[in-house]
Amino acid sequence: MADPKPPDPRDPSGASAEAWFFCLRLLGGRYAFDAPLVIEVVRLGPLTRLPAAPSFLPGVFTHRGEVLPVLDVGQLVGQGAVPLRPSTRAAIVHCGPWKVAVVSEAVEGLVAIPRRQLEPPPAESSGVAEFLSAVGRDRSGAIAVLDLPRLVEAARARAVPAGSGA
Amino acid sequence: MNPAGGELLLFQVGTRVFGAAVDGAVRIGNVRDVPAEALVVETALGPPFARDRGIVVSPRQGEERTLVVDQVLGFRSVGADEVQPLPAFARACLSSTALTGFVMMDDAPLLLVDLPTLVRERS
Repeated sequence: MADPKPPDPRDPSGASAEAWFFCLRLLGGRYAFDAPLVIEVVRLGPLTRLPAAPSFLPGVFTHRGEVLPVLDVGQLVGQGAVPLRPSTRAAIVHCGPWKVAVVSEAVEGLVAIPRRQLEPPPAESSGVAEFLSAVGRDRSGAIAVLDLPRLVEAARARAVPAGSGA
Repeated sequence: MNPAGGELLLFQVGTRVFGAAVDGAVRIGNVRDVPAEALVVETALGPPFARDRGIVVSPRQGEERTLVVDQVLGFRSVGADEVQPLPAFARACLSSTALTGFVMMDDAPLLLVDLPTLVRERS
């Protein structure tokens, strides 16, 4: 079987038979989000913890001279923290105005899912299910598709706003 | 921290080292003779362990307050190109506006603190 080809930028309409996602292992499962959100994948390196930070923001790290915030999806959805080690891999993503590094248990990379196999997420509205936009399946098994921009925005909204006196 | 760089005061609270623009500090002293009401002990930086030293800060409005720290480690000059703002997402999520950015020190980000804002948040 040939390796999957990267998304064709000439086909932004999504009219092709397959949808492309970037897949991470998180919370013991396979989670994916829109591939174009990903800038690159890095090893975390030493983490600098931030005081006054919510649990889903375990710190920042330096990548090519830039300080980047780390987002732990597990902490955000109340399902436990992703273990953080210098070898932990993270996907640097752009979600609207925010640039964050999403930590993972492992990185799978690009996956293609036939559009006909994408289904609406379960009706649950708690935990990570709250942020799913679809569920699907590829040759390696089931994948839950995250609405990452909504998840990142929810993280920001859940943080105690600076200056609130809290 | 002035984005143009300048002189930093390095200090430790708990296990973390922070930097602050020296012009945010009036003086450094002992905390033993400072009235309790003038001390700022627990801030967004966390609680100090040893509580040995104090950084006297003028919070722009109101009276001087003494920020209790564990150690004052010294001073360091930084250039404008060394100062990085806090990442936007981190700034939007932190519960304190006193954390302003970073300078790289020994290949690790050193967190910069605006001292007047820090003590004002605890007033």
